[in-house]
Amino acid sequence: MRVLHDLDLSVLPGERLGIVGLNGHGKSTLFLAIAGLTGWQRGSIQLNGHEVGGSRSQGPGRYTHRIVRRGLALIPQGDEIFYGLTVEEHLDSGAFTKKAWRERRQRKEWVLGIFPPLVKLMSVPVGRLSGGERRMVCLGRGLMSDASLYLVDEPSLGLAPKIGKSVLDTLMAIELGTSAMVIAEQNVSLLEGRVDRIIGMHAGKLKGEASVSLAGAMRWEA
Amino acid sequence: MSEPTPPSWKNPIAARGHSDSPDDVPIQPWQDPLAPWRDNREYKVKLHHIGHFRYYWKFRGHGSRLWHRTRWWPTRRRALLLRGGYNPKTLHAEKTISDKRPLYWIMAFALMLVMPFLVPQSLTNTLLSAAAIFAIYAAINLCWMLVIGTAGIYSLATYSVVGAAAYGTAYLSIQFGMPWWSLPFFGTFIGLGFGILIAIPALRLDGFYYALLTLGLNELCRVYVLQSRTFGSATGGLYGADTYIPEHFSAEHQLMLGYYASVVVMIAALALYRLVDGRRLGRILRMAPEKREAFAEACGVNYRRARIQVFLISSTALGAIGGFYAAHFRGASSNLFGLELVSLGLAMLVIGGTRRAEGVVIGTLIVVLMRDGLVTWGPIRLILIGVIMLAAVLFLRGGLFGIKPQFRAWRDKKKSENRSTRAEKGGEMLPEEATECRDKDEVYLRRFDKMQRDFLKTLVCAEVIEEHRRQPLGQHSEALERLMLYFRRQPQRDKYAIQAIQPFKAYRIVALSGHRGVAPREVEEKTYPTQAAAYHGVFLRRVQDLLET
Amino acid sequence: MNWGIIAVDALQLACIYGTLAVGISITWSSLGLINLAYGFVFAASGYGAWMAAEHLSEHGIAVMSAGILTGALFGIVVWALAFLPIHDKPNFTMRGMIATVAIALIGNQTLMWYFGPRAKALPEIFGYAQIEYAGITLTANTAGTVVSSIVLLGLVLWWMKSSRRGLEIRAMMMNPHAASLVGIGVRRTGLYVMALTGALAGLAAVLLSQVYYVSPFAGTTPLIKGLAIALCGGLGSVAGALIAAVILAINEAITAATIGGQYVLITQFALIILIILIRPRGIAGILDRAREA
Repeated sequence: MRVLHDLDLSVLPGERLGIVGLNGHGKSTLFLAIAGLTGWQRGSIQLNGHEVGGSRSQGPGRYTHRIVRRGLALIPQGDEIFYGLTVEEHLDSGAFTKKAWRERRQRKEWVLGIFPPLVKLMSVPVGRLSGGERRMVCLGRGLMSDASLYLVDEPSLGLAPKIGKSVLDTLMAIELGTSAMVIAEQNVSLLEGRVDRIIGMHAGKLKGEASVSLAGAMRWEA
Repeated sequence: MSEPTPPSWKNPIAARGHSDSPDDVPIQPWQDPLAPWRDNREYKVKLHHIGHFRYYWKFRGHGSRLWHRTRWWPTRRRALLLRGGYNPKTLHAEKTISDKRPLYWIMAFALMLVMPFLVPQSLTNTLLSAAAIFAIYAAINLCWMLVIGTAGIYSLATYSVVGAAAYGTAYLSIQFGMPWWSLPFFGTFIGLGFGILIAIPALRLDGFYYALLTLGLNELCRVYVLQSRTFGSATGGLYGADTYIPEHFSAEHQLMLGYYASVVVMIAALALYRLVDGRRLGRILRMAPEKREAFAEACGVNYRRARIQVFLISSTALGAIGGFYAAHFRGASSNLFGLELVSLGLAMLVIGGTRRAEGVVIGTLIVVLMRDGLVTWGPIRLILIGVIMLAAVLFLRGGLFGIKPQFRAWRDKKKSENRSTRAEKGGEMLPEEATECRDKDEVYLRRFDKMQRDFLKTLVCAEVIEEHRRQPLGQHSEALERLMLYFRRQPQRDKYAIQAIQPFKAYRIVALSGHRGVAPREVEEKTYPTQAAAYHGVFLRRVQDLLET
Repeated sequence: MNWGIIAVDALQLACIYGTLAVGISITWSSLGLINLAYGFVFAASGYGAWMAAEHLSEHGIAVMSAGILTGALFGIVVWALAFLPIHDKPNFTMRGMIATVAIALIGNQTLMWYFGPRAKALPEIFGYAQIEYAGITLTANTAGTVVSSIVLLGLVLWWMKSSRRGLEIRAMMMNPHAASLVGIGVRRTGLYVMALTGALAGLAAVLLSQVYYVSPFAGTTPLIKGLAIALCGGLGSVAGALIAAVILAINEAITAATIGGQYVLITQFALIILIILIRPRGIAGILDRAREA
């Protein structure tokens, strides 16, 4: 079944991009295609100038770990957790590059600074946490590696509105540096005014671009 | 220097003096509607040779035999599944045999019947005894297929059911002097009892857990039989049971009788497979495949009971075969419980394919021929069996008889990948459609439509939309007129229309369904205050759709 | 009944069974593969140890390391043939199991063809010393078996808990999809798992071959026993496999001392079937207190 049709998207370093659209219109499929977990036929995907979508004829997910090691962090829809590992081990597992593994203590402190409620839960198995806490663990795990592109798929899905809003607040407050973040959301109001660009996705095609912050447009012209 | 005057269109009925129709409408410069025809002297999209290769054998004639068909008296079952039709090119009436498998089976049985007379003299003994073993193992594997394929219970204990029945009946024959024709009869009871015993864990365990447990049970039986004096631990097996092969026959005739008797057993097993798998039990269990049993249960089907029934039927049959085994080989040996025989049995199933009876028989043939026909090769023949088994598991999805569906699935996947790379939107028909549609004019109609739409897209501009907004009905400039004629020509299905909710006050856009009696569907919530505004809304939507195709 | 002898026997058996069962459990839970070629890896490492004893040295450490390394090598062979080609194809569990059966068939017959069917003996790697204590004779063999298996198994489990590769293996045991999202390659981790479990089989082979000889089909019975114990402990839980190994070893020792050696298998399987009928998921089903989401 063909879900995505003719996409042309580029994300600049330091940019926070929002993709909005209803359920079933292809946002998650786009992220999966970038990570190599779905097949696609024509075109090319480049990460930091490297062609990353080359070998996709073998089967979905075969080369995902290599794409991830090139600097991609995908935080998928729902919660993909290791139910028996503790929170600390989860965060450790996110630091898969050698550099990130060596610095994992500092990175863990940074992540705990972003998500303070996790400090008390460090040795609890993740299977016993609530929905919001699990979402924070997954986001923290994604942030542990030093990725150039963070793909966050529906961070507020299935959470109570207040918790969802706080999760997005923390996402917006993260210092990106040279990395870029793409957030896919159904709920436009959570993204408005806080991301640099919003693109709509409808029936597998990207439609329209609203440059939300003019100051942001001037920021990365250099 | 003054600018050249922008082109404008003059309303021809301006002289009549209607106050609301404009006299002078600014337009874009005129574009020649014949331009696409001139520019496209040839069709630029890459065309492929397409066609449908009809490779079934066709026989001429039908018609008069539609009622009087050859049937198996007294049923109404037809002898061969014939299918009639008309050749699309020559329009002759033709028929073809849809399912040639009965013919293949008949040929195979005929071959099996005359096999002893066709083999070269020097190899007769080895081949005949190997063929008898093939037939017995084929029968066992067919019952095993019933358990694994139809019932979906991964039991690896079939050979130990046979072994238990063989040992039990051999013991009865040796100790109590039972005659050979009673051995399969007692075997059924032993098989049923053993089957009930191993069916109890099957209720609690699923999938591979049960397979591992049966492996353990095999080992248990083997060690018990090896260490028990009543069951011939000294001789490695029980020997001396009564056999149906008379002693006074010559060696060759003994082997031939053994061979034909085993073939009869195999045919009986095939009949049992057909009876169980092809009829009610098999159909019920096909409703409840591996992970979707809940659906069957919701339909009221008791699939658990059906599975246990198939399991017990199969165990009973295996017991009977075990009794025959004891009568044929005059006893039983402990390697019936060994892991090696289970491995070979798995090889037979996997090489042939677990979907069909033909696969089981062919797989058994290949393995037994290699194991018992090529004995002089030594351990290498078993290595070869293992290599073939590994290749079959790694590359084939469903054994030898699954090659055709596997190839078809791969070819379809490649076709759809190619199709999505070369799809040119809206213009050229897909090759599959083009071969299958009856009226080839449709292909050319679509091409023409695409060219026309490409031209019309160039006509859409702000002036045209403004002109329509000011006056939806009435005389229009050429560009707008062409657009509107095209829109009005479209088929009724999904055509936009206006629904008057309150006359002169509120109107809404709907889309017609194109089917009699089916109400139109609502397109949007917006209501328009006047009819002219509604017309303009419909026009805008149609233009949008045109630009998107 | 001499409880001392029973205890010593049970301990030795528990160590060997535990090694085998843990290997099978880890393979199933992290790769989804039922490794029926484990018996072949077992037999092959026995031969590897024997060849090292013949050609290199008879020293205990050399023989044991040769066995372990051969086991790891053949574990990798099974990985390459049964896991790599089909791990993401449909129906992998059944096909992988049958592929390992094929590898076992090929391997056992190759061993028989190459080495001949006669059994070979391994040198005594722990020496011939004996200690007498409270009426029990503790041979160096038993002590060596117990000590080495506990030490090595403990090393393996500690490595799995604390190192990064161990974390990767445990993560893949729980959620292979999420594992690839955090950069854990399924095939690379599978290589580590198969090498590790092969090494465990090698260890068990060397230890067991002190009592039984090395022969091409020597691995069949340990395979089936290991499978049954792993099944009883819950196919996927290391703790369950260890507990099941202890229980069944005690059972075997008691049976051998009271009723007689030939009824051992019957009591074993009676106990296993009993446990499985009560808890189809094995002993680990009792341990698991809603760890899953």
